[in-house]
Amino acid sequence: MTGWTRHARILLICWRAAVASEVEYRLNFVSNVALSMFWMLWAVAGASVYFRYTGAVAGWTNAEVLVVIGLFFTLNGLRQMLLQPNLERMTDYVRLGTLDFLLIKPFDAQLLVSLRHLNVNTLLDPVLGLALTTTGIVLAGRGTSVTALASFAWMLACAVLLMYALTVLMMALAVKLVAAEELGRVGYAFVELSRFPVDLYRNPVQTILTVVPIAFLTTYPAAALLGRLNPSMLLLAPAAAACAVIFATLAWRRSLRSYAGASA
Amino acid sequence: MRELLAAYPPLVRSATLAAVTYRGRAVLGVITGFFPLLTMAVWLTVVAEGGPPAGWTTGDFLSYYAAATLLWNLSGNHVVWQWDADMRSGDLSVRLLRPVHPFHQYTSSDLGHRLVLLTMLAPALAVAALLVPGLDYPANPVRLVAVAVALALAYGVSLLMASTFALIGFWSTQTTNMWMLWWGLGSFTSGWVAPLALMPDWVRTAASVLPFRTTMGFPIELLMGRLDVRQTLYGFAVGLGWLAVFALLYRITWRRGVRRYQAVAG
Repeated sequence: MTGWTRHARILLICWRAAVASEVEYRLNFVSNVALSMFWMLWAVAGASVYFRYTGAVAGWTNAEVLVVIGLFFTLNGLRQMLLQPNLERMTDYVRLGTLDFLLIKPFDAQLLVSLRHLNVNTLLDPVLGLALTTTGIVLAGRGTSVTALASFAWMLACAVLLMYALTVLMMALAVKLVAAEELGRVGYAFVELSRFPVDLYRNPVQTILTVVPIAFLTTYPAAALLGRLNPSMLLLAPAAAACAVIFATLAWRRSLRSYAGASA
Repeated sequence: MRELLAAYPPLVRSATLAAVTYRGRAVLGVITGFFPLLTMAVWLTVVAEGGPPAGWTTGDFLSYYAAATLLWNLSGNHVVWQWDADMRSGDLSVRLLRPVHPFHQYTSSDLGHRLVLLTMLAPALAVAALLVPGLDYPANPVRLVAVAVALALAYGVSLLMASTFALIGFWSTQTTNMWMLWWGLGSFTSGWVAPLALMPDWVRTAASVLPFRTTMGFPIELLMGRLDVRQTLYGFAVGLGWLAVFALLYRITWRRGVRRYQAVAG
Protein backbone atom coordinates (compact mmCIF):
# COMPACT_ATOMS: atom_id res chain seq x y z
CA MET A 1 0.00 0.00 0.00
CA THR A 2 2.94 2.35 0.62
CA GLY A 3 3.52 2.34 -3.13
CA TRP A 4 0.04 3.74 -3.66
CA THR A 5 0.36 6.49 -1.08
CA ARG A 6 3.76 7.46 -2.45
CA HIS A 7 2.33 7.69 -5.98
CA ALA A 8 -0.63 9.71 -4.77
CA ARG A 9 1.63 12.08 -2.83
CA ILE A 10 3.90 12.72 -5.82
CA LEU A 11 0.93 13.31 -8.14
CA LEU A 12 -0.45 15.83 -5.64
CA ILE A 13 2.87 17.69 -5.70
CA CYS A 14 2.78 17.75 -9.51
CA TRP A 15 -0.78 19.12 -9.49
CA ARG A 16 0.04 21.77 -6.91
CA ALA A 17 2.85 23.00 -9.15
CA ALA A 18 0.51 22.98 -12.16
CA VAL A 19 -2.12 25.02 -10.31
CA ALA A 20 0.51 27.47 -9.06
CA SER A 21 1.76 28.13 -12.57
CA GLU A 22 -1.75 28.56 -13.97
CA VAL A 23 -3.24 30.90 -11.37
CA GLU A 24 -0.86 33.53 -12.76
CA TYR A 25 -3.35 33.95 -15.59
CA ARG A 26 -6.44 34.94 -13.64
CA LEU A 27 -8.20 36.78 -16.45
CA ASN A 28 -7.79 33.70 -18.60
CA PHE A 29 -9.38 31.59 -15.88
CA VAL A 30 -12.38 33.89 -15.44
CA SER A 31 -12.86 34.15 -19.18
CA ASN A 32 -12.74 30.38 -19.59
CA VAL A 33 -15.23 29.78 -16.80
CA ALA A 34 -17.58 32.31 -18.42
CA LEU A 35 -17.19 30.50 -21.73
CA SER A 36 -17.88 27.12 -20.10
CA MET A 37 -21.13 28.47 -18.66
CA PHE A 38 -22.03 29.90 -22.04
CA TRP A 39 -21.47 26.59 -23.85
CA MET A 40 -23.66 24.86 -21.32
CA LEU A 41 -26.51 27.31 -21.85
CA TRP A 42 -25.89 26.95 -25.58
CA ALA A 43 -26.29 23.17 -25.38
CA VAL A 44 -29.46 23.50 -23.28
CA ALA A 45 -31.02 26.01 -25.70
CA GLY A 46 -29.93 23.94 -28.70
CA ALA A 47 -31.48 20.74 -27.35
CA SER A 48 -34.74 22.53 -26.55
CA VAL A 49 -35.36 23.05 -30.29
CA TYR A 50 -36.22 19.35 -30.68
CA PHE A 51 -38.79 19.58 -27.94
CA ARG A 52 -40.69 22.33 -29.73
CA TYR A 53 -42.02 19.50 -31.90
CA THR A 54 -42.29 16.57 -29.54
CA GLY A 55 -42.70 15.89 -25.82
CA ALA A 56 -40.09 13.15 -25.73
CA VAL A 57 -37.51 11.74 -28.12
CA ALA A 58 -37.07 7.98 -27.78
CA GLY A 59 -38.61 8.17 -24.31
CA TRP A 60 -36.39 10.99 -23.07
CA THR A 61 -38.08 14.23 -22.07
CA ASN A 62 -36.32 17.58 -22.28
CA ALA A 63 -35.55 17.55 -18.53
CA GLU A 64 -34.10 14.04 -18.76
CA VAL A 65 -31.91 15.05 -21.69
CA LEU A 66 -30.57 17.88 -19.49
CA VAL A 67 -29.37 15.24 -17.02
CA VAL A 68 -27.30 13.70 -19.81
CA ILE A 69 -26.01 17.04 -21.12
CA GLY A 70 -24.90 17.91 -17.58
CA LEU A 71 -23.01 14.63 -17.35
CA PHE A 72 -21.46 15.30 -20.74
CA PHE A 73 -20.05 18.59 -19.44
CA THR A 74 -18.91 16.88 -16.24
CA LEU A 75 -16.97 14.19 -18.06
CA ASN A 76 -15.68 16.46 -20.79
CA GLY A 77 -14.53 18.96 -18.15
CA LEU A 78 -12.66 16.19 -16.33
CA ARG A 79 -11.11 15.11 -19.62
CA GLN A 80 -9.97 18.64 -20.44
CA MET A 81 -8.67 19.18 -16.93
CA LEU A 82 -6.83 15.90 -16.24
CA LEU A 83 -6.22 14.07 -19.48
CA GLN A 84 -6.05 16.45 -22.42
CA PRO A 85 -3.06 18.53 -21.14
CA ASN A 86 -1.04 15.32 -20.80
CA LEU A 87 -2.05 13.87 -24.15
CA GLU A 88 -1.16 17.19 -25.80
CA ARG A 89 2.43 16.88 -24.62
CA MET A 90 2.94 13.41 -26.06
CA THR A 91 4.04 14.63 -29.51
CA ASP A 92 6.83 16.70 -28.00
CA TYR A 93 7.82 13.93 -25.58
CA VAL A 94 8.38 11.58 -28.50
CA ARG A 95 9.69 14.08 -31.05
CA LEU A 96 12.19 15.68 -28.68
CA GLY A 97 13.00 12.48 -26.86
CA THR A 98 12.05 13.97 -23.47
CA LEU A 99 9.97 10.86 -22.82
CA ASP A 100 13.31 9.27 -21.86
CA PHE A 101 13.52 11.43 -18.75
CA LEU A 102 10.02 10.44 -17.66
CA LEU A 103 10.67 6.75 -18.20
CA ILE A 104 13.79 6.68 -16.03
CA LYS A 105 12.07 8.31 -13.04
CA PRO A 106 11.38 5.96 -10.10
CA PHE A 107 7.64 6.27 -10.64
CA ASP A 108 5.06 4.36 -12.67
CA ALA A 109 5.61 5.71 -16.19
CA GLN A 110 1.98 5.42 -17.28
CA LEU A 111 0.67 7.36 -14.29
CA LEU A 112 3.35 10.02 -14.63
CA VAL A 113 2.85 10.55 -18.35
CA SER A 114 -0.95 10.42 -18.23
CA LEU A 115 -1.67 12.44 -15.08
CA ARG A 116 1.25 14.77 -14.37
CA HIS A 117 -0.17 17.96 -15.85
CA LEU A 118 -3.39 19.69 -14.96
CA ASN A 119 -5.37 22.38 -16.75
CA VAL A 120 -7.18 24.50 -14.17
CA ASN A 121 -9.21 26.40 -16.77
CA THR A 122 -11.94 23.77 -16.75
CA LEU A 123 -11.74 23.18 -13.00
CA LEU A 124 -15.34 24.32 -12.56
CA ASP A 125 -16.79 22.42 -15.54
CA PRO A 126 -17.56 19.24 -13.59
CA VAL A 127 -19.26 21.35 -10.91
CA LEU A 128 -21.30 23.26 -13.50
CA GLY A 129 -22.15 20.01 -15.26
CA LEU A 130 -23.39 18.36 -12.08
CA ALA A 131 -25.42 21.49 -11.32
CA LEU A 132 -27.15 21.10 -14.70
CA THR A 133 -27.70 17.39 -14.01
CA THR A 134 -29.31 18.28 -10.68
CA THR A 135 -31.49 20.86 -12.42
CA GLY A 136 -32.58 18.20 -14.89
CA ILE A 137 -33.50 15.82 -12.07
CA VAL A 138 -35.54 18.50 -10.30
CA LEU A 139 -37.32 19.48 -13.53
CA ALA A 140 -38.04 15.81 -14.32
CA GLY A 141 -39.92 15.94 -11.02
CA ARG A 142 -39.66 12.30 -10.09
CA GLY A 143 -37.28 12.78 -7.19
CA THR A 144 -34.45 10.40 -6.46
CA SER A 145 -33.49 7.77 -3.90
CA VAL A 146 -30.41 6.63 -2.04
CA THR A 147 -30.21 3.53 -4.26
CA ALA A 148 -30.41 5.66 -7.40
CA LEU A 149 -27.71 8.02 -6.09
CA ALA A 150 -25.43 5.15 -5.10
CA SER A 151 -25.77 3.37 -8.43
CA PHE A 152 -25.25 6.71 -10.19
CA ALA A 153 -21.96 7.28 -8.31
CA TRP A 154 -20.92 3.74 -9.16
CA MET A 155 -21.72 4.15 -12.88
CA LEU A 156 -20.04 7.56 -13.01
CA ALA A 157 -16.83 6.14 -11.51
CA CYS A 158 -16.87 3.47 -14.23
CA ALA A 159 -17.39 6.19 -16.86
CA VAL A 160 -14.37 8.14 -15.59
CA LEU A 161 -12.24 4.98 -15.71
CA LEU A 162 -13.40 4.28 -19.26
CA MET A 163 -12.45 7.77 -20.33
CA TYR A 164 -9.05 7.39 -18.70
CA ALA A 165 -8.51 4.13 -20.58
CA LEU A 166 -9.46 5.82 -23.84
CA THR A 167 -6.86 8.53 -23.27
CA VAL A 168 -4.11 6.07 -22.38
CA LEU A 169 -4.93 4.25 -25.60
CA MET A 170 -4.54 7.53 -27.51
CA MET A 171 -1.19 8.07 -25.76
CA ALA A 172 -0.01 4.63 -26.81
CA LEU A 173 -0.98 5.48 -30.38
CA ALA A 174 0.76 8.84 -30.04
CA VAL A 175 4.07 7.09 -29.34
CA LYS A 176 3.74 5.42 -32.74
CA LEU A 177 2.03 8.12 -34.79
CA VAL A 178 3.55 11.26 -33.17
CA ALA A 179 0.28 13.09 -33.86
CA ALA A 180 -1.13 13.76 -30.39
CA GLU A 181 -3.10 16.81 -31.53
CA GLU A 182 -5.14 14.82 -34.03
CA LEU A 183 -5.54 11.92 -31.61
CA GLY A 184 -6.76 14.38 -29.02
CA ARG A 185 -9.43 15.45 -31.47
CA VAL A 186 -10.45 11.83 -32.04
CA GLY A 187 -10.69 11.42 -28.26
CA TYR A 188 -12.88 14.50 -28.07
CA ALA A 189 -15.04 13.18 -30.91
CA PHE A 190 -15.69 10.02 -28.86
CA VAL A 191 -16.80 12.04 -25.87
CA GLU A 192 -18.83 14.36 -28.09
CA LEU A 193 -20.93 11.34 -29.11
CA SER A 194 -22.08 11.11 -25.50
CA ARG A 195 -23.66 14.58 -25.59
CA PHE A 196 -27.13 13.07 -26.05
CA PRO A 197 -28.58 9.78 -24.72
CA VAL A 198 -27.64 7.07 -27.23
CA ASP A 199 -31.33 6.11 -27.52
CA LEU A 200 -31.84 9.34 -29.46
CA TYR A 201 -30.01 7.83 -32.42
CA ARG A 202 -31.59 5.14 -34.55
CA ASN A 203 -30.10 1.74 -35.19
CA PRO A 204 -27.51 0.70 -36.26
CA VAL A 205 -25.75 3.75 -34.74
CA GLN A 206 -27.37 3.12 -31.37
CA THR A 207 -26.09 -0.46 -31.14
CA ILE A 208 -22.61 0.59 -32.25
CA LEU A 209 -22.47 3.26 -29.55
CA THR A 210 -23.49 0.71 -26.92
CA VAL A 211 -20.76 -1.71 -27.99
CA VAL A 212 -18.08 0.99 -28.39
CA PRO A 213 -19.02 1.95 -24.76
CA ILE A 214 -20.14 5.52 -25.48
CA ALA A 215 -23.41 4.62 -23.73
CA PHE A 216 -21.47 3.91 -20.53
CA LEU A 217 -20.14 7.48 -20.43
CA THR A 218 -23.34 9.44 -19.88
CA THR A 219 -26.46 7.51 -20.89
CA TYR A 220 -26.26 4.75 -18.27
CA PRO A 221 -25.17 6.97 -15.37
CA ALA A 222 -28.11 9.24 -16.22
CA ALA A 223 -30.45 6.25 -16.40
CA ALA A 224 -29.16 5.15 -12.98
CA LEU A 225 -29.93 8.57 -11.54
CA LEU A 226 -33.42 8.51 -13.07
CA GLY A 227 -33.95 5.06 -11.53
CA ARG A 228 -34.51 3.16 -14.77
CA LEU A 229 -31.17 1.46 -15.28
CA ASN A 230 -31.15 -2.20 -16.16
CA PRO A 231 -29.56 -3.65 -12.95
CA SER A 232 -27.26 -5.94 -14.95
CA MET A 233 -25.42 -2.77 -16.06
CA LEU A 234 -24.16 -2.34 -12.50
CA LEU A 235 -21.96 -5.38 -13.14
CA LEU A 236 -21.39 -4.89 -16.84
CA ALA A 237 -20.07 -1.32 -16.47
CA PRO A 238 -17.18 -2.11 -14.10
CA ALA A 239 -16.33 -5.15 -16.23
CA ALA A 240 -16.20 -2.98 -19.35
CA ALA A 241 -14.15 -0.32 -17.53
CA ALA A 242 -11.69 -2.89 -16.17
CA CYS A 243 -11.27 -4.50 -19.59
CA ALA A 244 -10.69 -1.10 -21.17
CA VAL A 245 -8.06 -0.12 -18.58
CA ILE A 246 -6.25 -3.45 -18.94
CA PHE A 247 -6.35 -3.23 -22.73
CA ALA A 248 -5.06 0.37 -22.72
CA THR A 249 -2.29 -0.47 -20.25
CA LEU A 250 -1.14 -3.39 -22.38
CA ALA A 251 -1.23 -1.19 -25.50
CA TRP A 252 0.81 1.47 -23.67
CA ARG A 253 3.47 -1.04 -22.57
CA ARG A 254 3.62 -2.49 -26.07
CA SER A 255 4.09 0.92 -27.65
CA LEU A 256 6.90 1.71 -25.20
CA ARG A 257 8.72 -1.37 -26.41
CA SER A 258 8.78 0.10 -29.91
CA TYR A 259 9.88 3.51 -28.62
CA ALA A 260 13.54 4.08 -29.45
CA GLY A 261 14.26 7.51 -27.91
CA ALA A 262 14.97 10.39 -30.28
CA SER A 263 17.50 12.26 -28.15
CA ALA A 264 19.52 10.91 -25.23
CA MET B 1 -3.85 45.96 -56.85
CA ARG B 2 -2.43 44.09 -59.84
CA GLU B 3 0.58 43.05 -57.80
CA LEU B 4 -1.71 41.75 -55.07
CA LEU B 5 -3.73 39.69 -57.55
CA ALA B 6 -0.50 38.31 -59.00
CA ALA B 7 0.63 37.27 -55.52
CA TYR B 8 -2.52 35.23 -54.81
CA PRO B 9 -2.10 32.22 -57.14
CA PRO B 10 1.36 31.20 -55.86
CA LEU B 11 0.35 31.81 -52.22
CA VAL B 12 -2.81 29.75 -52.62
CA ARG B 13 -0.87 27.06 -54.44
CA SER B 14 1.68 26.73 -51.65
CA ALA B 15 -1.12 26.49 -49.08
CA THR B 16 -2.78 23.82 -51.22
CA LEU B 17 0.44 21.84 -51.31
CA ALA B 18 0.77 22.12 -47.54
CA ALA B 19 -2.80 20.88 -47.11
CA VAL B 20 -2.18 17.97 -49.49
CA THR B 21 1.04 17.05 -47.68
CA TYR B 22 -0.78 16.83 -44.36
CA ARG B 23 -3.90 15.30 -45.93
CA GLY B 24 -4.25 12.87 -43.04
CA ARG B 25 -4.93 15.86 -40.80
CA ALA B 26 -7.42 17.28 -43.27
CA VAL B 27 -9.31 13.99 -43.46
CA LEU B 28 -9.34 13.70 -39.68
CA GLY B 29 -10.64 17.26 -39.50
CA VAL B 30 -13.51 16.39 -41.81
CA ILE B 31 -14.37 13.20 -39.94
CA THR B 32 -14.33 14.84 -36.53
CA GLY B 33 -16.45 17.72 -37.84
CA PHE B 34 -19.49 15.47 -37.70
CA PHE B 35 -21.45 17.49 -35.17
CA PRO B 36 -24.09 18.48 -37.77
CA LEU B 37 -24.66 14.78 -38.46
CA LEU B 38 -25.32 14.13 -34.75
CA THR B 39 -28.05 16.76 -34.68
CA MET B 40 -29.38 15.29 -37.90
CA ALA B 41 -29.55 11.82 -36.34
CA VAL B 42 -31.73 13.18 -33.52
CA TRP B 43 -34.02 14.92 -36.02
CA LEU B 44 -34.41 11.66 -37.94
CA THR B 45 -35.59 10.02 -34.71
CA VAL B 46 -38.06 12.85 -34.20
CA VAL B 47 -39.41 12.31 -37.74
CA ALA B 48 -39.65 8.55 -37.28
CA GLU B 49 -41.55 8.86 -33.99
CA GLY B 50 -43.89 11.76 -34.50
CA GLY B 51 -43.91 12.55 -38.21
CA PRO B 52 -42.21 15.44 -40.02
CA PRO B 53 -41.81 18.52 -37.77
CA ALA B 54 -43.02 21.64 -39.62
CA GLY B 55 -43.25 19.53 -42.78
CA TRP B 56 -39.56 18.57 -42.78
CA THR B 57 -39.20 14.98 -43.98
CA THR B 58 -36.26 12.61 -43.56
CA GLY B 59 -35.11 13.59 -47.06
CA ASP B 60 -35.16 17.28 -46.17
CA PHE B 61 -33.00 16.70 -43.10
CA LEU B 62 -30.55 14.54 -45.06
CA SER B 63 -30.23 17.19 -47.78
CA TYR B 64 -29.90 20.00 -45.26
CA TYR B 65 -27.21 18.44 -43.09
CA ALA B 66 -25.18 17.02 -45.99
CA ALA B 67 -24.94 20.56 -47.34
CA ALA B 68 -24.33 21.93 -43.83
CA THR B 69 -21.28 19.68 -43.49
CA LEU B 70 -19.93 21.15 -46.73
CA LEU B 71 -20.62 24.73 -45.59
CA TRP B 72 -18.98 24.10 -42.23
CA ASN B 73 -15.77 23.01 -43.95
CA LEU B 74 -16.00 25.97 -46.31
CA SER B 75 -16.09 28.66 -43.64
CA GLY B 76 -13.33 31.24 -43.26
CA ASN B 77 -13.56 31.18 -39.44
CA HIS B 78 -10.26 29.42 -39.02
CA VAL B 79 -8.18 32.55 -39.64
CA VAL B 80 -9.03 33.76 -36.10
CA TRP B 81 -6.79 31.11 -34.57
CA GLN B 82 -3.95 31.86 -36.95
CA TRP B 83 -4.06 35.60 -36.22
CA ASP B 84 -4.25 34.94 -32.49
CA ALA B 85 -1.30 32.55 -32.51
CA ASP B 86 0.86 34.97 -34.51
CA MET B 87 0.01 37.97 -32.33
CA ARG B 88 0.91 35.99 -29.23
CA SER B 89 4.16 34.55 -30.54
CA GLY B 90 5.24 37.74 -32.32
CA ASP B 91 5.31 36.00 -35.70
CA LEU B 92 3.05 38.78 -36.92
CA SER B 93 6.17 40.98 -37.01
CA VAL B 94 7.64 38.76 -39.71
CA ARG B 95 4.40 38.88 -41.65
CA LEU B 96 4.32 42.68 -41.45
CA LEU B 97 7.72 42.81 -43.15
CA ARG B 98 6.51 40.87 -46.17
CA PRO B 99 5.32 42.80 -49.24
CA VAL B 100 1.79 41.35 -48.99
CA HIS B 101 -0.57 42.58 -46.24
CA PRO B 102 -1.03 39.96 -43.44
CA PHE B 103 -4.75 39.79 -44.22
CA HIS B 104 -3.96 38.46 -47.68
CA GLN B 105 -1.35 36.08 -46.31
CA TYR B 106 -3.90 34.50 -43.98
CA THR B 107 -6.65 34.57 -46.61
CA SER B 108 -4.57 32.92 -49.34
CA SER B 109 -3.40 30.27 -46.91
CA ASP B 110 -6.97 29.59 -45.79
CA LEU B 111 -8.20 29.54 -49.41
CA GLY B 112 -5.66 26.85 -50.23
CA HIS B 113 -6.95 24.66 -47.43
CA ARG B 114 -10.60 25.26 -48.38
CA LEU B 115 -9.86 24.31 -52.00
CA VAL B 116 -8.42 20.96 -50.96
CA LEU B 117 -11.36 20.24 -48.64
CA LEU B 118 -13.83 21.31 -51.32
CA THR B 119 -12.31 19.00 -53.93
CA MET B 120 -12.61 16.13 -51.44
CA LEU B 121 -16.13 16.94 -50.21
CA ALA B 122 -17.99 18.21 -53.28
CA PRO B 123 -17.71 14.88 -55.21
CA ALA B 124 -18.72 12.99 -52.06
CA LEU B 125 -21.79 15.21 -51.74
CA ALA B 126 -22.64 14.73 -55.43
CA VAL B 127 -22.34 10.94 -55.12
CA ALA B 128 -24.44 10.97 -51.94
CA ALA B 129 -27.11 13.03 -53.74
CA LEU B 130 -27.23 10.37 -56.48
CA LEU B 131 -27.18 7.30 -54.24
CA VAL B 132 -29.04 8.15 -51.03
CA PRO B 133 -32.80 8.07 -51.57
CA GLY B 134 -34.41 11.23 -50.28
CA LEU B 135 -31.20 13.23 -50.39
CA ASP B 136 -31.97 15.35 -53.42
CA TYR B 137 -31.34 18.87 -54.67
CA PRO B 138 -33.66 20.27 -57.34
CA ALA B 139 -30.90 21.46 -59.64
CA ASN B 140 -31.27 23.76 -62.61
CA PRO B 141 -28.50 25.83 -64.24
CA VAL B 142 -29.69 29.20 -62.93
CA ARG B 143 -29.99 27.91 -59.39
CA LEU B 144 -26.57 26.26 -59.50
CA VAL B 145 -24.98 29.56 -60.56
CA ALA B 146 -26.84 31.35 -57.76
CA VAL B 147 -25.67 28.71 -55.26
CA ALA B 148 -22.06 29.11 -56.42
CA VAL B 149 -22.30 32.88 -55.88
CA ALA B 150 -23.96 32.31 -52.48
CA LEU B 151 -21.13 29.96 -51.46
CA ALA B 152 -18.54 32.59 -52.40
CA LEU B 153 -20.53 35.17 -50.44
CA ALA B 154 -20.73 32.79 -47.45
CA TYR B 155 -16.99 32.38 -47.48
CA GLY B 156 -16.40 36.12 -47.93
CA VAL B 157 -18.65 37.17 -45.05
CA SER B 158 -17.33 34.52 -42.65
CA LEU B 159 -13.75 35.40 -43.58
CA LEU B 160 -14.18 39.16 -43.16
CA MET B 161 -16.18 38.74 -39.95
CA ALA B 162 -13.51 36.46 -38.48
CA SER B 163 -10.66 38.70 -39.64
CA THR B 164 -12.30 41.77 -38.11
CA PHE B 165 -12.75 39.88 -34.86
CA ALA B 166 -9.14 38.69 -34.93
CA LEU B 167 -7.98 42.31 -34.78
CA ILE B 168 -9.35 42.57 -31.23
CA GLY B 169 -6.08 40.80 -30.47
CA PHE B 170 -4.33 44.17 -30.67
CA TRP B 171 -6.18 45.20 -27.51
CA SER B 172 -6.94 41.94 -25.68
CA THR B 173 -5.57 38.46 -25.09
CA GLN B 174 -9.06 36.92 -25.00
CA THR B 175 -9.79 37.08 -28.73
CA THR B 176 -10.50 33.39 -29.29
CA ASN B 177 -12.86 33.19 -26.31
CA MET B 178 -14.73 36.29 -27.48
CA TRP B 179 -14.90 34.83 -30.95
CA MET B 180 -16.39 31.58 -29.65
CA LEU B 181 -18.98 33.55 -27.69
CA TRP B 182 -19.86 35.51 -30.85
CA TRP B 183 -19.94 32.39 -32.99
CA GLY B 184 -21.97 30.48 -30.39
CA LEU B 185 -24.61 33.20 -30.23
CA GLY B 186 -24.60 33.45 -34.01
CA SER B 187 -25.03 29.70 -34.45
CA PHE B 188 -28.69 30.01 -33.48
CA THR B 189 -29.36 32.39 -36.36
CA SER B 190 -26.99 30.78 -38.89
CA GLY B 191 -28.83 27.49 -39.28
CA TRP B 192 -26.14 25.56 -37.38
CA VAL B 193 -28.11 24.65 -34.26
CA ALA B 194 -31.14 23.69 -36.37
CA PRO B 195 -32.58 24.64 -39.76
CA LEU B 196 -33.99 28.15 -39.38
CA ALA B 197 -37.40 26.98 -40.58
CA LEU B 198 -37.70 24.97 -37.34
CA MET B 199 -36.66 27.83 -35.05
CA PRO B 200 -39.09 30.11 -33.20
CA ASP B 201 -40.34 33.14 -35.16
CA TRP B 202 -38.31 35.70 -33.21
CA VAL B 203 -35.09 33.82 -33.95
CA ARG B 204 -35.99 33.76 -37.63
CA THR B 205 -36.69 37.49 -37.61
CA ALA B 206 -33.31 38.12 -36.01
CA ALA B 207 -31.64 35.76 -38.48
CA SER B 208 -33.05 37.65 -41.46
CA VAL B 209 -31.06 40.79 -40.58
CA LEU B 210 -27.95 39.35 -38.85
CA PRO B 211 -24.84 38.31 -40.79
CA PHE B 212 -24.80 34.65 -39.74
CA ARG B 213 -27.47 33.22 -42.05
CA THR B 214 -25.40 34.27 -45.07
CA THR B 215 -22.60 32.00 -43.91
CA MET B 216 -24.67 28.80 -43.71
CA GLY B 217 -28.46 28.77 -43.84
CA PHE B 218 -28.92 30.95 -46.93
CA PRO B 219 -26.79 28.92 -49.39
CA ILE B 220 -28.32 25.66 -48.11
CA GLU B 221 -31.91 26.90 -48.41
CA LEU B 222 -31.08 28.15 -51.90
CA LEU B 223 -29.59 24.78 -52.86
CA MET B 224 -32.64 22.97 -51.53
CA GLY B 225 -34.91 25.15 -53.66
CA ARG B 226 -36.76 26.57 -50.67
CA LEU B 227 -36.42 30.23 -51.64
CA ASP B 228 -38.40 32.13 -54.26
CA VAL B 229 -36.89 34.93 -56.35
CA ARG B 230 -37.76 37.66 -53.86
CA GLN B 231 -36.32 35.78 -50.88
CA THR B 232 -33.21 34.95 -52.90
CA LEU B 233 -32.59 38.59 -53.83
CA TYR B 234 -33.21 39.65 -50.23
CA GLY B 235 -30.67 37.06 -48.99
CA PHE B 236 -28.04 38.30 -51.42
CA ALA B 237 -28.73 41.92 -50.45
CA VAL B 238 -28.27 41.18 -46.73
CA GLY B 239 -25.09 39.20 -47.43
CA LEU B 240 -23.55 41.89 -49.61
CA GLY B 241 -24.51 44.53 -47.05
CA TRP B 242 -22.67 42.68 -44.29
CA LEU B 243 -19.71 42.07 -46.58
CA ALA B 244 -19.40 45.84 -47.01
CA VAL B 245 -19.89 46.50 -43.28
CA PHE B 246 -17.18 44.07 -42.24
CA ALA B 247 -14.79 45.28 -44.94
CA LEU B 248 -15.17 48.81 -43.61
CA LEU B 249 -14.91 47.74 -39.95
CA TYR B 250 -11.83 45.73 -40.78
CA ARG B 251 -10.08 48.70 -42.41
CA ILE B 252 -10.85 51.08 -39.54
CA THR B 253 -9.85 48.57 -36.86
CA TRP B 254 -6.65 47.60 -38.65
CA ARG B 255 -5.46 51.23 -38.94
CA ARG B 256 -6.02 51.85 -35.24
CA GLY B 257 -4.85 48.45 -34.05
CA VAL B 258 -1.59 48.06 -35.91
CA ARG B 259 -0.33 51.30 -34.33
CA ARG B 260 -0.72 49.65 -30.93
CA TYR B 261 1.05 46.47 -31.93
CA GLN B 262 4.12 45.69 -29.87
CA ALA B 263 5.86 42.50 -30.85
CA VAL B 264 6.17 40.30 -27.77
CA ALA B 265 8.80 38.12 -29.33
CA GLY B 266 10.22 37.86 -32.77
